[in-house]
Parts: sequence; structure tokens; C-alpha cells
Amino acid sequence: MSAAEHDSVRDLAAAYALGALSPEESREFEAYLASSPEAQREVAEYRDVAALLALAGPEAAPSEGLRDRVLGGVSRQKTVSIPRRNNPMAWGALAASLLAVVGLGLTLMSTRRQLADVRGRLDSTAQQLVLTDSMLVARDSTLFRIFEPGVELFQLTASGDPDPNIQLFWDRNLNRAILHGSRIRQLDPGKAYQLWFIKDGTPLPSVTFKPEPTGHVKVEPIEVPSGTGISAAAVTIEPEAGSKQPTMPIVMVGSLKKS
Amino acid sequence: MSSQGSTRTATSDGELIAGAAAGDERAMAALYDRYGAVLYAVAYRIVGQRADAEEVVVDAFAQAWRDAPRFEAARGSVAGWLTMIGRSRALDLVRARARRDRITATAAADRPEAPLAMGAWRGDPAGAVDHAERRVRVREALDTLSPPQRQAIELAYFEGLSQSEIAERLQEPLGTIKTRVRLGMQKLRECLRPFYFEPGS
Repeated sequence: MSAAEHDSVRDLAAAYALGALSPEESREFEAYLASSPEAQREVAEYRDVAALLALAGPEAAPSEGLRDRVLGGVSRQKTVSIPRRNNPMAWGALAASLLAVVGLGLTLMSTRRQLADVRGRLDSTAQQLVLTDSMLVARDSTLFRIFEPGVELFQLTASGDPDPNIQLFWDRNLNRAILHGSRIRQLDPGKAYQLWFIKDGTPLPSVTFKPEPTGHVKVEPIEVPSGTGISAAAVTIEPEAGSKQPTMPIVMVGSLKKS
Repeated sequence: MSSQGSTRTATSDGELIAGAAAGDERAMAALYDRYGAVLYAVAYRIVGQRADAEEVVVDAFAQAWRDAPRFEAARGSVAGWLTMIGRSRALDLVRARARRDRITATAAADRPEAPLAMGAWRGDPAGAVDHAERRVRVREALDTLSPPQRQAIELAYFEGLSQSEIAERLQEPLGTIKTRVRLGMQKLRECLRPFYFEPGS
């Protein structure tokens, strides 16, 4: 690296700490950062400067109840540790979803092998095995449908909340979709999530669903309104029976346009 | 001052993060008492709504709790790390809101609301005084910048724009924006060095 280039990279410390680099620039700078303790110190100090900018806005204080909500939020996820999603989402999320699907497949295979072993040894658990097996068959068919050519994957995300994640596998040929969600919050009794397809700017009601205690949810098959003009899918919280029109604000949304 | 107030200073931010990483919720409570108001301030400045700002703070501390084991002191202070999490979550919310409004073609009815005054903060009275003092220093420091330098830094920090995006928005050469950010941050560093949150812990 020439002296001039070196200078220009070093000059990025302030912009990096401020969050003013594009994702590509940030990655390049981080590669340089790893090799330069001096730049690390520089970034560390500029982060202190950036932290103080937090106070540059209007004088504001949260309500008194916020402390309990924050600590409640911390307690709730005490047992789970989830890897962060990268911010430049599209590729990362797609890759993560594909990995999850492949992971599901691998789990399936190893679970099958275990299943075969257990079957040989324990007749008494046969009934439970049948149950497990039918679950596996169901999962298997889901997998096959996901891998079908022409099936596209779309992500729904929540505003401001990194955790809940919904993937919609849409088979345009059959006007069918499979919904798979994780880390979905539990709802009050009598309430359910409802899926909407936004067609020509109008929300069309689709299925309602509730997460399992683990926060997972799978719904299939879902009929997708036929024809063009479907631009997005959204999720609201509605009464259990579902609504014809969304009555509550959108909690999750994602574009269904071809990328 | 109560005895609670004097024991507060005994534990460094770094020790609290280590506590949180080890699963101690009391450490998170202490971090909230120190920096909850700061995170709320940056969230409110970015999202412009009290309820949304509080949602951002809840999410940010939840993320800090999850990520505490990966905190690296060499990369910066706890305060710098926490405020960056708060800023990112707030910017995420604003972007999601913009996306939602685009998609459903509903006009953004979200008007900024007046924030509660700082006096309502009950987290840590000593901390609130520190923050009030710092707030004055930050304003003074920003006033030493040229208006274009200040604008570039505020667009980056509060609107999440990259230098290239700022150049595009202002119709200025990228090199000019880079210089403004760099010189502006240097000036802020000179002015604010004595006032960092828990320096060198």
C-alpha cells in the first residue's frame, strides 16, 4: 500500500466511528483496522466522540416504566443466544435462510439415522416413533416443496425489532406459499397474527397463525391471490378469527417484488 | 447522597459488561441506569416519537445483553458500543417505517411529539447531572464547527447516511464531504476529550 493510500485509509477512522462509511467501505476499513493498533486506538476514541453526539438532540427522558420494560426484555431472552443478522441484509439473510434450509435437511438425515437405530432396539416406543416419523415426513415434503424450481424466498421483518423473522416461500406457478417464522412473540389470548398480501395497494386477508411456545411457526399451504400486482406481504395482530380489513398496525412487512 | 449513589462509582462499565456477559441481570440494570437516558436521547432524536424511541431502547438493551460476551474493550468504550447499538436500532426502525409507508402507500402520519423533559429521568440522579453537563459541552463543541461540517456529521449520525449519500444529497463532491467529516470530527475530539463517558475504564 502506498503512503498516499495509507493516509487515505487512516483518514477513514473518524467516518467509520461515526457510521458514515458504506458497508463495502466499512469492510475494507475493518480489514485494515485489524492490522493497525494505532488505527484501533483512533477508532476507539472517535467512538467516544460519536457516543457524546447522542446528547446533541433535544433534551429528552424516557418514561419511568421503561426501566422495567428493558429489564423484562433482557430476562425474556435469558436462555437464548442468537447470532446477529448483518445489516446489509439481502445477501446475508438469503444465505442464512439457505443455510437454515440445508441445516434442516442435515438434521433430518441425522434424525432419520437415529430413528432407525432406536426402532431396532425399542419396540415399546413404537407409537411415539410413528408420530415422530410422520412429523419427519411432513418436514420432508416441506423441504421438497421449498426446493421446487420456481419457488422464491421473501423475508418479512419487523420495524425496529431484529428478532422475529418470517420467510415466505412463494411458488408462483401454483399460487401457493409456505410461511416459516422464528422468534415470533407470543400473543395475548384471543389474538392471532394475520398475513396480508398487498395487491395493487390493497391488503387482501390471508391466513391467521400463532407461534408455538418455541416462537416457531409454519403454515402451509397458503393460497396466494393469483395474477400480477402483488407487491408485498404484511403481518398484523388481529382477533383470533381473523379480519377482513387490517384493524391493527403492521408488525412485520416484506416486499414480494422480484429482486 | 445515598449510599447507593456512592457504590455506583465503584463498578466500572467494563465490569458491568463482563457481569452481563456472565448472565447477571443486575449488571444490565446498572448499565441501564447509567446509559438508558443516553440511548433514549439518541433514539428519540432519530425516530422522533416517544413510544418508538422506548421500543428502540428495549431492543437495544436486549441486543446488548445478547452481544455482551462479544464486547471487545480494545474497540472502544462500553458507552460508545451501547450508543452505536441504540443508533443502529433507531435507524433500522426509521428505514422499516419508510419501507412500510412506501409499500402500503400510507402517508407518514407520524408527527414528532414533544419529548418528556430530562427531569422525569429517575434512573440515576448523579448520572442525569453528568449528562446535563455533557449535553451543554456537546452543544458548545458542535457550535465550533462550520455549518457544513456540522451538517455532514449530523446527516451521518442521525440519518445514517454514508459520505457518498451525503455528497449526493447535498450535490457536493465526495472529497469535500470526506474532508468536512474528518475535520469536524477532529474538532469535536479536541473539544470533547475531557467529557467522554467513563474515559479509559
